[in-house]
Amino acid sequence: MNDVAPVLAVEGLSVRFGGHLAVSDVSIQVHAGRITGLIGPNGAGKTTTFNAICGVTPLSAGRVRLSGEDLGRLSTHQRARRGVGRTFQRLEVFSSLTVADNVRVGLEIRRSWSRRRPPAPQFLAGATDSSLTADDEVDLIVTRIGLADSADVPVGALSTGSARKVELGRALAARPRVLLLDEPASGLDDRETGDLGVLLGELAAAGLGVLLVEHDVALVMRVCADLSVLNFGQVIASGTPTEVQSNRAVLDAYLGGDEALRSTAPIVESELGASG
Amino acid sequence: MDKFLVFTIAGLSSAAIYAIAASGLVVTYTTSGIFNFAHGAFGMLAAFGFWQVSVAWGVPTIPAVILIVFVAAPLFGAVVERVIMRGIEGSSDVVKIVVTVSLMVALLGLAQVIWPPDVSRPVPPFFEGRSVEFAGVRVQWSRLLALVVAVVVAGGLRLLFTRTRLGIAMRAVVDDRSLLQLNGGRPGRTAMLSWGLGAALAAISGVLYSTEQTLSAVTLTLLVVNTYAVAVVGRLRSLPGAFLGAVILGLAQSYVTGYINPDLTVGPIALGNLAAALPAIMLFTVLLIQPEARLRSHGAARLRPPQPVPSQRIAVFGGLALVLVLAALGSLIAPSDLVLVTKGAGFALITLSLVPLTGYAGQISLAQLTFTGIGAVAMAAWGANGSPLAVAASIALCAAVGAVIALPALRLSGIYLALATAAFALFCTAMIFNQQQIIPSGSVQVPPLSIGPFTADTDFKQLVLLAILFAGTGNLLVWLRRSAWGRRLTAMKDSPVACATLGLNLTSTKVGVFALSAAIAGAGGALAGRTFTADNFALPSSLPVTMLAVVGGIGSIAGAFMGGMLLGAIPIASTVFAANAIGVFRFVSIPVRDVLTFTPGLMGISLGREPDGAAPQIAVGYRAVGRSAAALAFTVGGVVALWLATRFGPLAKWSFAAALFVFVVAAVPLLPLILRPVLPEDTAPPPRRLACALWLALVTVAAAVFPWADRISSNGVRILLIIVFAALSARVAIGILGVAPEQLRRPIPPSPDLVGVDRPLVRADALEATRQMGLSEDDFEAEVEAIGLEHVTASRGASAVAGADR
Amino acid sequence: MNAPLLELRSICAGYGTIEVLHGVDLVVPPSSVVALLGPNGAGKTTTLSVACGLIQPTAGTVLVAGRNVAGVAPEVLARRGLVTIPEGRGIFPNLTVRENLQMATLAGTRLAAVEEVAYGRFPRLAERQTQVAGTLSGGEQQMLALARGLAVDPAVLLLDELSMGLAPLIVEELYGIVATIARSGTSILVVEQFARTVLGVADIAAIMVNGVIRSVGEPASIESELSSAYLGG
Repeated sequence: MNDVAPVLAVEGLSVRFGGHLAVSDVSIQVHAGRITGLIGPNGAGKTTTFNAICGVTPLSAGRVRLSGEDLGRLSTHQRARRGVGRTFQRLEVFSSLTVADNVRVGLEIRRSWSRRRPPAPQFLAGATDSSLTADDEVDLIVTRIGLADSADVPVGALSTGSARKVELGRALAARPRVLLLDEPASGLDDRETGDLGVLLGELAAAGLGVLLVEHDVALVMRVCADLSVLNFGQVIASGTPTEVQSNRAVLDAYLGGDEALRSTAPIVESELGASG
Repeated sequence: MDKFLVFTIAGLSSAAIYAIAASGLVVTYTTSGIFNFAHGAFGMLAAFGFWQVSVAWGVPTIPAVILIVFVAAPLFGAVVERVIMRGIEGSSDVVKIVVTVSLMVALLGLAQVIWPPDVSRPVPPFFEGRSVEFAGVRVQWSRLLALVVAVVVAGGLRLLFTRTRLGIAMRAVVDDRSLLQLNGGRPGRTAMLSWGLGAALAAISGVLYSTEQTLSAVTLTLLVVNTYAVAVVGRLRSLPGAFLGAVILGLAQSYVTGYINPDLTVGPIALGNLAAALPAIMLFTVLLIQPEARLRSHGAARLRPPQPVPSQRIAVFGGLALVLVLAALGSLIAPSDLVLVTKGAGFALITLSLVPLTGYAGQISLAQLTFTGIGAVAMAAWGANGSPLAVAASIALCAAVGAVIALPALRLSGIYLALATAAFALFCTAMIFNQQQIIPSGSVQVPPLSIGPFTADTDFKQLVLLAILFAGTGNLLVWLRRSAWGRRLTAMKDSPVACATLGLNLTSTKVGVFALSAAIAGAGGALAGRTFTADNFALPSSLPVTMLAVVGGIGSIAGAFMGGMLLGAIPIASTVFAANAIGVFRFVSIPVRDVLTFTPGLMGISLGREPDGAAPQIAVGYRAVGRSAAALAFTVGGVVALWLATRFGPLAKWSFAAALFVFVVAAVPLLPLILRPVLPEDTAPPPRRLACALWLALVTVAAAVFPWADRISSNGVRILLIIVFAALSARVAIGILGVAPEQLRRPIPPSPDLVGVDRPLVRADALEATRQMGLSEDDFEAEVEAIGLEHVTASRGASAVAGADR
Repeated sequence: MNAPLLELRSICAGYGTIEVLHGVDLVVPPSSVVALLGPNGAGKTTTLSVACGLIQPTAGTVLVAGRNVAGVAPEVLARRGLVTIPEGRGIFPNLTVRENLQMATLAGTRLAAVEEVAYGRFPRLAERQTQVAGTLSGGEQQMLALARGLAVDPAVLLLDELSMGLAPLIVEELYGIVATIARSGTSILVVEQFARTVLGVADIAAIMVNGVIRSVGEPASIESELSSAYLGG
């Protein structure tokens, strides 16, 4: 359905842990300017897919391409320099640094190598490359993720939800081309989740490609242009959110296919259908 | 052919000993997660213990072996686990390494006290004189014994780990510690047993080895480096891998001894010591071929708040103060003491080299003095005239060597860097520092620095130079710490994987820090301006540097200074005390000097209880002083006044020392509280400032007036009395004031206020509870029958009975 | 002794400085199945870790059979009849099936009895006695974990995300076994993210959101709140 070349293309990705095939033959495309959702039950292989894309876990088969370039042989930091940014499901914040310094480290690491790479698209309103000092950019990002009030608080003292925002801000400071978000809304309250949705929309509108793993199905349905469903390490469905929603296999996989328990299905179906 | 066979058998026999030792190391590491650097020291103690029991006391061999290997060693291992290692569970790699290294140093010191090294202690080989003919070669029974024991150990371990519940539980701990607890297993007890087993295996290897060579505590303890090299083949976790490594190393060493002419030289290096350098070569080779460690996303959770970084202003003032204080001190004390203080300042610079590496980046090196040695040797070779250019070149060489050494290890986890540096230290001792061509007759004279008209040719000038260097480097480090680079290091310590996904090259960043650290340590050698012996650069000398840097305070510059001064002070104290042993120690007939030989080790072990190190604990009390201008002025004024009174006035030097110590310990921490303006929101009771200030003035004057030098003849007693006097004064002052300076807050552990569950709960409890809540038990029994769980019911009865028995 | 077998009173707990639970109250009455439901990250697993003693709460009390067990080690609780099957397969992956069952005997049951129950209930495990547990299929691994819960005969059974990564049919089978254990009188606390899989088994359902229990009630009465809890209404 998309003629434009994707910014991130995962082709036939497999990851094997010993004898266990955690991810098998997964193909996903992420386009610049669009948010692609990746959903599936716990343990389906979503985080493993992320780890394989950014080079934390070696892949046993398949390819990962960024703007056509094969990332397969590159190490994690080299992939990051090509423009792969991410957040973590299990928090990986710099907990002894303040919120502002977490973002600043992202920015400073970028500045230590970005001169050799053309600047990534601007996706924060007001962030123009030439006029902005490091302090300004940090302020801008910290404000945008809604943590201006706690900019000088060590991240270790923050709630999970706020720490997730810090991870997002830190990843943005590195100005990626494609951003992998691993459950960014867990730990956020309703208003914050709403704000996150708006921010993600803005980022996409500015040309960033986003791959979103999220359990908040309402958020996924609201912001994603494309959706892939993972179960047992395989993509069992993909398409627009509406297409996926009406897919019976998805419903069974995601919600459990137990006939005896189907009485409660309407609730959970409404969960999927809430914003469709 | 005969020669080949002879050396093969000799090689296999030492391989057997390595394999036994390495299997003990692997067992403790895998099951407790603590890599026991003191493993060699365990074996050494066992060897000496065996000599003591079998030779000195004349106990027959078999009971002696049983006593040492099966009773004393396992008990010792279990006690070490319970008393020391359990406290550092869950600590950082650095703390774990330093605590076991400290144990090694302490045991080494202890052994040298109990069994002074100036006596030869031969242990006759087992089955003396018995041998067999094998393919035309005569083989001693004792050599075969080692092989047989190794095979028995391998088989026994296999049985233990596959056939017994205890052994399976040891493997289960490795898989999932908390799941074992949820199963009802006791990981603590499992760890104690595994340490007991590890110690027994160390003891076997030690006893076997004791018959091969003359007993030397240092040699036996450092054999552990061979064991590391062997264990690394199995990535420290695999027993078959360790056995394979043992065979490779044993044979290689044996063939090198047999076939390489010791007079052969490569450049300035004679190959006579090659066998001693082989473990290091093997370790590096194995590290190079290991695949890079995988990054783990573990979820960053930290319990300990980070240490505050001093502001640059405080660092500058602190540096100036340090230079002035050391210069003042240097101008007062006797020349013989000046040498020691200068040595201490030199050590301080070397401990400072660990601040960026260990404090900022969370990595550890056990070979800082090796870099000092390289710096010293290079300076001696290139800078006979003390030229700053030669200093720069020597430092650059150290940085380069450091980068090359660190590269293979840093791709892996922190423990490997410690192993690699230890191996590097042994390698350099064998192949560089013990080479006649490089350090003739075992000592090297580093020329003093000479810049234009200034030459650091006296001890006083050298002391001031070192103080300036320390202050300058300290300021540089504070500046770096506050820079983008320093933030990056903190970030890397908190979450390496996040840094990598932001585009940071972890390996090159760590190599950079290591090179910086090596350069500072090298500067400590190139600028030392004194004579070193080869022993000064050996591993046993390096270990206390790392220990005391960490004990002083990981990552704090004041801590590094404290650690260095302690290193300098221990020889001072031991000379002071040697002449003036104190009664109580006389009474138990341990000379104080001997106690001091293992004091650094004990300090390191204490780290298990104070993982922050000492300086930060003390710094908290003094931090308020820096914030109050009045208190700062009072402090500086007081010190200057005392110095003036001594330099130009009537005050004796001992009185100066006593008054200064009392002032700094008792008065300074309280100054901010005394001088602070009264605030309206202050709660009752108001502090008694005036009384306290008077008391402090009184004790300071008393310390200054008391004729320490005349009334007390022994230096040791003087020092002790001054310490006691200062401590009492401080305690009374706090009592008078009614307020104590703030202390580091520690988390209060949850109190096990009630262990109320005193017998196993079984389903019967649930049934009973349900019945009382109005449900009939019959309902359940009927259901149980209906769903066919009779056999469960039956076994429940059995387990209830078993429960009652317990 | 009609106290609940397991009770959490205003528990606060977390990891390091990050507090996850902000005052959790939860009661597991005798012979009943309590389902703890809620979205990912709500604090369900942390609640379970507090209950089994792996995490000490920073505030609040844990009562087992009415007795305060503050500071009691998890292995002590395990030997007192509190069996926990943690998230993501409660097995030792590098031990064989039989060795795993041997570890189940640490709480005081004889190996023969454990094997009898385990192999009797799950014949597939009997066929794989010497196989390393990590190479079993996900369902078989979970059976092995459940076998412990069955064989040790606990008073309280804590289950975390039994369904994780498993096919619906297997989940159904596993929860069938949970129902059997429940009918025999064991009190069970089940943590589940996917509500539907467990509601049929539970007597009481509690919904947890952002570290607090939002509502407790019978499964039927709680249904209406489920969607809002999951969707953040």
